[in-house]
Amino acid sequence: MKHGFYFLLGLVGALGLSWAGIVMGSNTQLASLPPYADDTDTSPPWFPGEAARGEYVYKDLGCSACHTQQVRRPDFGSDVARGWGDRQSVARDYIYQPFPQLGNNRVGPDLTNLAGRRPNPPDEEDLMKLLYEGHGGMPAYKFLFEQRKIIGQVSDHAIKPSGAAPIPAGYELVPSRRAQMLVAYLRNLNTTSDYPESRPIPAAGAESAGSAPKAKPAPAKAASGAAPAPAKKATP
Amino acid sequence: MNAEVTAIDSLSRRPLLLLLASGLAWLLLGGLLALIAAAQLIQPAFLADCSFLTYGRTTALAETAFVYGWLANAGLALGLWILARLGGEALRAQNWIVVGTLFWNAGITIALIGLATGDVTGFSLLNLPGYVQPLLLVAYGAIAVSGILAWGGRRRSMMYASQWYAVAALILFPWFLSVAGVMLFWSPARGVVQAVVAGWYSQCVWTLWLAPAALAVAYYVVPKVTGRTLRSYSFAALGFWTLLFMGPWTGGRHLIGGPVPAWIPTIAVVTGALLFFHYIIVALNLRDTFAAPGVSLRFIAFGLAAYLLGGVTDALTSFHGLSMVTRFTYVETAEQQLALYGAISMIFFGGLYYAVPRITGRAWAFGGLITGHLGFSALGVVGLVLALTVAGLVQGGGLLSTEVSFAEIGELTQPWLVAVLFAQIILLFGNILLSVNFLATLALSPKAEVAQFRAPVAMEVSAS
Amino acid sequence: MSTEPPSDPRLDQAASSDDSLLSSHEKLLGRQPDEKAKYRLTPIALLFAFSGLILFAGTYLNRYAGHYDSLIYNENASPGGATAAPMAVDMVALGKKQFQSVCITCHQATGLGQAGIYPPLAGSEWVNGPEERVIRIVLDGLKGTVHVAGKEYGAAAMPVFGQVAGSGYNWSDEKIAAVLTYVRQEWGNKGAPVTTDAVTKIHQATGDHKEWSEAELAAIK
Repeated sequence: MKHGFYFLLGLVGALGLSWAGIVMGSNTQLASLPPYADDTDTSPPWFPGEAARGEYVYKDLGCSACHTQQVRRPDFGSDVARGWGDRQSVARDYIYQPFPQLGNNRVGPDLTNLAGRRPNPPDEEDLMKLLYEGHGGMPAYKFLFEQRKIIGQVSDHAIKPSGAAPIPAGYELVPSRRAQMLVAYLRNLNTTSDYPESRPIPAAGAESAGSAPKAKPAPAKAASGAAPAPAKKATP
Repeated sequence: MNAEVTAIDSLSRRPLLLLLASGLAWLLLGGLLALIAAAQLIQPAFLADCSFLTYGRTTALAETAFVYGWLANAGLALGLWILARLGGEALRAQNWIVVGTLFWNAGITIALIGLATGDVTGFSLLNLPGYVQPLLLVAYGAIAVSGILAWGGRRRSMMYASQWYAVAALILFPWFLSVAGVMLFWSPARGVVQAVVAGWYSQCVWTLWLAPAALAVAYYVVPKVTGRTLRSYSFAALGFWTLLFMGPWTGGRHLIGGPVPAWIPTIAVVTGALLFFHYIIVALNLRDTFAAPGVSLRFIAFGLAAYLLGGVTDALTSFHGLSMVTRFTYVETAEQQLALYGAISMIFFGGLYYAVPRITGRAWAFGGLITGHLGFSALGVVGLVLALTVAGLVQGGGLLSTEVSFAEIGELTQPWLVAVLFAQIILLFGNILLSVNFLATLALSPKAEVAQFRAPVAMEVSAS
Repeated sequence: MSTEPPSDPRLDQAASSDDSLLSSHEKLLGRQPDEKAKYRLTPIALLFAFSGLILFAGTYLNRYAGHYDSLIYNENASPGGATAAPMAVDMVALGKKQFQSVCITCHQATGLGQAGIYPPLAGSEWVNGPEERVIRIVLDGLKGTVHVAGKEYGAAAMPVFGQVAGSGYNWSDEKIAAVLTYVRQEWGNKGAPVTTDAVTKIHQATGDHKEWSEAELAAIK
């Protein structure tokens, strides 16, 4: 390679091709995905104010180091069988999130549909306790809370930890603004809406578009592989 | 004029040593942070009350210090040195390099402080807050200018493989960093496109920056020490272009099964397989490394083996069957450590041990520390990667089943994570040995032993 | 290099100069002396390897890239089949989701309801009976007392779920068909699935009907 010019051209070409292909290709396809409107509402929903700010808290604490927010389709692991979501996550789920925190490691459970978990999604108190005390591999985030003297009435948001160290009399444990935003965010994480592209593809040979009723009671099956049988679920 | 050490080295001493010294400082800091992160995985309560060192931030800090502190500085130092030697002139624009290095290190410091106070980006290998990126780009440009000048002003018009790889690493990094900076920070793309850009960026870092930087070192040191031309060298260009053209397309690897259209991970699988061609050619070219003596080549041989193994495992774990078990587990961490530490870092260590005597004109101070570092690094890397892999497989097996709770997974992976902690301790200890040796070498008075370089002979053209 | 001194780790010796490195590699790339008809295996082996990899790559891409369609997330989508048309819905899964989001509050997860207030769905003759009745119940609601398995339930009215005037839910015909399909196969029920078309037919025939009473429904077939 004696010609420096062609060499440089090759370098730029290599980078440019991959950028054009993957980055701009996916950008063209996915950047203007509209929300999906079915007969009752449009989805995904916007996060209400507190919850939207909570995403920043989630990001800045680095929660995605241990938690993912992407559910894979039923034949690709046990995500659906564990009750983390009814269907796989698709691009449309993330269009209104400023920084989708997809995550890469599951030291803790997936959080995509935390607020849509059945039978009982965690409520504010559960989440505050979890943040304050930690659980298993999850550390305690005590710095998100403040122990302060009770002035007048006990605060609405005060939490009663069940851990070892009791709060001294006359003091209350109150979550900081960041904890409140974070919990609001977590309680708005749900993907109960259903999109056409998230439905499993019909089995080969039975390609019926539209709504052919299936009498099979098993959860949605894809063309290859069998869905894992959800015999009993341990607490995720 | 065929002496081994010439004015090229002695005149280029100052900026190169500055780069290497900063790199080693970041290596130690990164090792300490990785130690903290490993400890926090075992005992979540460790430092949990310190908001600056919560686990999510510690992993980001360790990774940034290691990649953008140590690997960047070392890669730049070795790349510039090789370009200067092959170009036939001492480094030009040296003040630019010094200023650039200082600003780069300042930028990384700001980035680390930013991460510790909460500007974690959430993107793997791109934990650089947006506000620090322009500074880093300018600093990198200042350092890279010298390399481009060394390449542009080279005495011979032909380019040797090390020069292709080094120039590619120098030129491409600012481009894909700025693209990622724009599309992720300044004018963020919508929704999952961010994940696609982040995946593309992390593969660019690996295939367009770090791997070329390491291969530049390997392609230079190996024939110099063995005294023979590289085997099958006529195919080296094919290997180079395959890496460049196929490499970044593997970005979708991190999105298998994820919320992106199927073609993105599929293209990643396919180009990962096509990259085998690059690995085959690199193995063919550099196969003499494994039999040759010398501590530099031992490090480079280890790094090369890790590089090839990493390429194979990366491709294999992209497929559906394996990725069902390995996705979202420590196996992916193991793959990253195999690549960044086992391959790149070890090759850089080899280059370091080869280059420093020539740059300083003195032999290394303690031979025992060198063999110690080799032993500890090899042991540490093998231990780290194995422990993370087993932990990941255990975790993956538990995740696949619907009946295993996270508490149980935690218990099962615990012993392996303890092994990871020990591996990090061993690695850090080895790096302390290296740093002590480096400081001692620099501190030796000029009257100490001047390196006795053998007179070079003409290179044997090997039958390939 | 015949006699090599033991290598000192503190100083790795180089065998050749940089200039020699460059010139010898340049020579390698230049024209090679004639090898007198000896075939070298490496280029052929590499050619085969690369061709094999490209063949694999092309085949894999063709099969698993899902037409590069932005709405195909499953790489197993067959290359010749339907593309981005709305995929078939699993009525039982959809129905189960609908049931668990709303119906479960009254009819309970066991399908047994509550004595005197919410009728049971498990083993109910209304659920397992002709679909025309049960479709109307969900579509337009039910007011007044109703007898299920001999017991009387009347304390609460069944809300209006279909897309009719006064509905708080506005469920599509598909959702109604789905929830009925689910209910008719759960808890030991053996009713046949309900199709969306059946619901649509009844919806169009009855229009904006107010809540049904037990007597009206009993009169149907």
